[in-house]
Amino acid sequence: MIKFHPSEQHLVLYAAGELSPAMLMMVGTHVDMCPKCQAHVQDIEQHMAAKLFGESETANIVHGFDEQAMLQAIFDSQQPAVNNTAAANDSLFLEGHRFALPPTLARNSHRIGEWSRLPGKLWRAPVRVGGEEMLNFIYMDKHASLPEHTHKGNEVTIVVNGVFNDENNEYRDGDFMLLDEQHKHSPATQDHDCLTIAALEGPLYFTTGLSRLLNPFSSLFFK
Amino acid sequence: MSSAQPDNPEHAAELLAKIAAEQSRAAFSELFRYFAPRLQAYATRQFGNEQTAMDLVQETMTNVWHKAHLFKPDRGSAATWIFTIARNIRFDLLRKNKHRQNDLSADDLWPVLAETNDSLDDDYALDNDLLMQQLAVYCEQLPKAQRTVIELIYIEGKSQQEVADALEIPLGTVKSRTRLALQKLKELIQHDD
Repeated sequence: MIKFHPSEQHLVLYAAGELSPAMLMMVGTHVDMCPKCQAHVQDIEQHMAAKLFGESETANIVHGFDEQAMLQAIFDSQQPAVNNTAAANDSLFLEGHRFALPPTLARNSHRIGEWSRLPGKLWRAPVRVGGEEMLNFIYMDKHASLPEHTHKGNEVTIVVNGVFNDENNEYRDGDFMLLDEQHKHSPATQDHDCLTIAALEGPLYFTTGLSRLLNPFSSLFFK
Repeated sequence: MSSAQPDNPEHAAELLAKIAAEQSRAAFSELFRYFAPRLQAYATRQFGNEQTAMDLVQETMTNVWHKAHLFKPDRGSAATWIFTIARNIRFDLLRKNKHRQNDLSADDLWPVLAETNDSLDDDYALDNDLLMQQLAVYCEQLPKAQRTVIELIYIEGKSQQEVADALEIPLGTVKSRTRLALQKLKELIQHDD
């Protein structure tokens, strides 16, 4: 079972599209893998929709546009291009292993760059999503370890497939872990290899927008 | 005539079904007159720019008109579906003028308007995810013959035909073992809940 989840604030900002590109990919990947957070995001979307289309908004309606003209323009419009993302590549091959990619990563598999080998049985490939924050796949072979390190800013890691440990815990498929500058840790694998994806968390973009429909800062908006 | 309003979820879902089935302009007009002004009021305050707000309303409602067949009543309400379309359009509008290479588009993140492929529909994806991430433990409890088939298909990614060839057994046997194994897994999970 998945033990480590994004915060509710992450989920609200994901549902509103108000995180950095790298963090949207990270939260989306966790949500793909976690039925609990999937249900939570659906709840959040439902609450935002209720606020957006609900009673309080009717007070702001000024009918300041020509509805009939827009209706006619819509009836006259062409069918938009068919968008078929289901054909995305859902497998990643590395070192003779096949990894199933969760849907968010599969839809964006064309953004995965070249793999490069790092010292200590590690491989890395960038995922190009725009924005300031780095997003990387990190693959750790069996019996691999990273030297003890801290992070500048927060680092988020998700296990896509496999298992690794640090001093504090064991992390498995779907686990979403957030480490801040205070955390020193030395991740290592034992008898299993491990594919992870990692991002440095930039500033959260929450000053305006859809997420303001809810209050992501209240502790657990709907429990 | 029904006296229900589009703020009644069942009625809104019926309107979408009518649009999908018979391109009913009356059904769409009714939905439009409810949702469009609310979206417009919200978007005007958010963007502080009436033209961008109007673009958001028109693009959102154009998709509702053409893509009503993608609405799945079991996944959420009509209002929530329309909200997710507006969220996606907004996401793309906010990035539209930047023209940066590699930027994510809303479809990359939330495939609200993707035509689903029958062989890879949501049920399959969910079953697959559940199996991959949470059911490894339950697999241990399957009879060996069924477990082998499940591992080859879901962990190694082989097709049923490839499994039949590898194990030198008929395709029908692979299919029935898969079906029995999935059924058994479902029982094990439900029993555990």
